[in-house]
Amino acid sequence: MLKIEGLKKMYGRATALDGLSMHVREGALYGFVGPNGAGKTTTIKILTGLLLPDGGSVTIDGADVVKDRGKVTESIGYVPDFFGVYDNLKVSEYMELFAACYGLYGLNARRRTETLLDQVGLGEKEDYYVDGLSRGMKQRLCLARALIHNPPILIMDEPTSGLDPRTRYEFKEILKDLREQEKTVVISSHILSELSEICTDIGIVEEGKMVLEGAMDDILSQINVRSPLMISVYRNREKALDILRNNSYAETITIRQNDIMVGFTGDREEEAALLQQMIQAGVMICGFMRERGNLESVFMQITDHEEGRVLLRED
Amino acid sequence: MKINPVYQQESRISARSFRLPLIILLCNSILALVALLDMYSMISQVKTTAEIQYSSFLSLYVFAAGMEFVLLLLIVPALTSGSISGERERQTLNLLLTTRMTPGSIVIGKLLVSLSTVFLLIISSFPILSLVFIYGGVTVTDMIVLLCCFSSTALLGGCIGLCCSSVFKRSTIATTASYCVMAFLVFGTMALWRLASAIGGTTQGKEGLACLLLANPAVTFGTVIKSQAGHVRRIPFLEIWAEGSSVSPLIPYWLAFSMAVQLLLAFLCLWIAIDQVNPRRKRRWKI
Repeated sequence: MLKIEGLKKMYGRATALDGLSMHVREGALYGFVGPNGAGKTTTIKILTGLLLPDGGSVTIDGADVVKDRGKVTESIGYVPDFFGVYDNLKVSEYMELFAACYGLYGLNARRRTETLLDQVGLGEKEDYYVDGLSRGMKQRLCLARALIHNPPILIMDEPTSGLDPRTRYEFKEILKDLREQEKTVVISSHILSELSEICTDIGIVEEGKMVLEGAMDDILSQINVRSPLMISVYRNREKALDILRNNSYAETITIRQNDIMVGFTGDREEEAALLQQMIQAGVMICGFMRERGNLESVFMQITDHEEGRVLLRED
Repeated sequence: MKINPVYQQESRISARSFRLPLIILLCNSILALVALLDMYSMISQVKTTAEIQYSSFLSLYVFAAGMEFVLLLLIVPALTSGSISGERERQTLNLLLTTRMTPGSIVIGKLLVSLSTVFLLIISSFPILSLVFIYGGVTVTDMIVLLCCFSSTALLGGCIGLCCSSVFKRSTIATTASYCVMAFLVFGTMALWRLASAIGGTTQGKEGLACLLLANPAVTFGTVIKSQAGHVRRIPFLEIWAEGSSVSPLIPYWLAFSMAVQLLLAFLCLWIAIDQVNPRRKRRWKI
């Protein structure tokens, strides 16, 4: 559905995108995450035709974003990280303006406007001035605006930033509805907990490159293995630390009160062997488990550049 | 009927705003006040001296048309200079650019909104200018020529405002730049020509400076007024200097040439504006 290969973009001498590749399958809710300055907004701007790439290829539904602009425009709806509304314009007029921008006029535009406003919960606000809407309502209006021409792909750049928890929840429900309508959604956000709840696929970008991409479930199961091992020691903590220091799978050891967090690269068998070794050495253990992986831990692990083995770090 | 969406939306907003009726009211009030006072003083003179000076009625026309021309020069850049930069400030330009709208249709939509406001202003002031018909001296054809002159000035001013609005990101800077460009066209070209005249001689360079006056809307307006009210079909100050020079063949057709040059200049500004709005252009300069 959406395919990016070796995308490059420079701003002067600064590299914003350094051969980024990304694949979004049809009907996916794709979470596009990365630290500030990683190249998310630049990628989105290239996808929406607001920037020209310096290299690489971007195809949306088979159409090249540079050469086949008209088809791409029809295929995408864009929700930016700002509202972009006009004062002195009513909600229905705002929608009809953008309907006209896509060649929808008269009754067709009005019907589509009514349907979308109902879908985002603004059906009763169509005669309100846009300027008088709350932040959450404006964002929902922007979403409805992006859907006015019924695009198969929706591209959203930080759509929930600055919204209160209730509005974020409502927004999330609307996204679930869109998924049911088989829309492909690419969503860039910093609120990772939200993305992990709704996204089917994820792509983590850093320094202009895609560092991890795939189905959310696959990535979370992979990261479970890489999640830290939490060991709660009741007695003989020093002995436990000695064993861990000499264990080749233990990359990092962090002491947090009575717990020891170990960056353990071994598999389930090595975990069991470690537990057995500790018990045999007389360490009294009351807890031994892998921390459950989530998107935040994936993100933090991938974007954490702390290199080398940290053997003793007390929080 | 499919109307340019930007034009439709802006027209709707300006129709709701108090600005348009206020501009029309103020401009026409000033014009009407000046014209009626002038007419009153002429009629008073007739009452006291029993002498009718028909040329005074023509001077009323010149004065009213001149006032309107100055108002146009002041209003048009203000109307357009915030249009593109305003879209940028509201962050709506990028939204429009992701739709089917091309940079050209966005810029032309903005220009049409400003021009329709200005034409409304020009048309609404014609009853005041038509006061001169009471006593005669100016024909309907003269009024049409004056309308053409006002239209070319409005188009030039509008395109300069749009160009500045697209080049500069902030509306205040764009407005200032628009007035500076207009001031250069009106006063700057004249000052350069006068400087060349003061130095004396008829060198190629000075003739070139005389050609700069073709871009001056005030000189065009002066030509129109002179031909209508002064019964002079040439520009005397230019004629004296240009006699026998390579510029002199232009003098009889000054009006047509100057309007053509100003239209070309307007289209150049429009092209720059469209190019600046296009996000997919290769950036040539950044302000």
